[in-house]
Amino acid sequence: MWQYEKKLQYPIKIKNPNPKYAKIIISQYGGPDGELGASMRYLSQRYAMPYPELKGLLTDIGTEELAHFEMIAAMVHQLTREMSYEEIVKSGFDTYFVDHTAGVWPMAASAEPWSSNYIGVKGDLLADLHEDMSAEQKARVTYDNLLRLIDDPDIRDPLKFLREREIVHYQRFGEGLDLATSKLNSKNYYAFNPSFDKQR
Amino acid sequence: MNSNMNGMNTMNEKSRILRRIDGVDFAIDEMTLYLDTHPTDSRALKTLEQYRKRRAELIGEYESRFGPYVLTSNDASGSRWNWIDNPWPWDIQAN
Repeated sequence: MWQYEKKLQYPIKIKNPNPKYAKIIISQYGGPDGELGASMRYLSQRYAMPYPELKGLLTDIGTEELAHFEMIAAMVHQLTREMSYEEIVKSGFDTYFVDHTAGVWPMAASAEPWSSNYIGVKGDLLADLHEDMSAEQKARVTYDNLLRLIDDPDIRDPLKFLREREIVHYQRFGEGLDLATSKLNSKNYYAFNPSFDKQR
Repeated sequence: MNSNMNGMNTMNEKSRILRRIDGVDFAIDEMTLYLDTHPTDSRALKTLEQYRKRRAELIGEYESRFGPYVLTSNDASGSRWNWIDNPWPWDIQAN
C-alpha cells in the first residue's frame, strides 16, 4: 500500500508562469512516454514477476514514478498561475483552458488523453523487462526534446533531474534483465515463460 | 534591521537543514533501487544504515529548533491537525 510524503522528490520553484511551456511539459504528465504511464506500467507488471528482486524493483521504481508524476503536475500548476485572458489566448492555452481551466488533466501535448494503450504488460518476464528499458529510453528522449525547447533555468533544473532518473532506471532494469537471464537456461531463454509456467 | 537579519538567518538555517534532509532522502531512494538488484551487497547495506542514521540526526536537529517535521500524516501532532496545513508540495512556497 502507499503512504504519502508531503514533499516533492526534487524542489520546483518556477518564478515565471508560462502557459506555452505548460502545454508541452504536460506530455510528461499524461503522454505516451510520461510519468503516469511509467508508474502504471511498472506497478502493473510486478504481479506476474517470478523473482523477488524484480517485484521489489518494479514496486520501488513504480512508486518513484508517482513522485515524478507529481513533480510534472507541480510544474504545470506553477506555470499556469496568474494568467490573464490575453496570455491564455496568445499562448494557445485557450483550447485546454476551456475544458480544464487551470486544473491538471492527464493528457499528451497533442491533447490525446492518457490511456493504458501507452503501456505494455505482457505477463512475460523478458518481454516486460525489454518494454521497461525501452520506456525509460523514450522518456529520456522526451526530456531531451523538452530541454531543446525550454530555456528557463527554473524549469530546466528539475527536467534535468528527471532525465537523469530515467537513465538510472534504465540501468537498474538492465541489471534486472541480467538477473533474469542468469536464472534461465542460456541454451534457450525462451523455453518457457517464467512469469506463467511452472519451471520444467 | 537586526531583527530582520535574525529572521533571514533563521529562514536560511531552516532551508539549509531541509535541503540536507532532502539530500539524504535521495541517497536513500538511490540505495533502495540498487539493493533491489544487489540484495546481498553488504557494503551497500551498511551505507544505507549510515544514511538512515544521518537522516535521523538531521530530523532531530530540525525538530529541536523548528518544531515537528511533518512528512507523513503519522508525524502530525499538536493541538490541531497540522497535516493539512499549507503549503502543499506543489505550491511554490514549499520549494
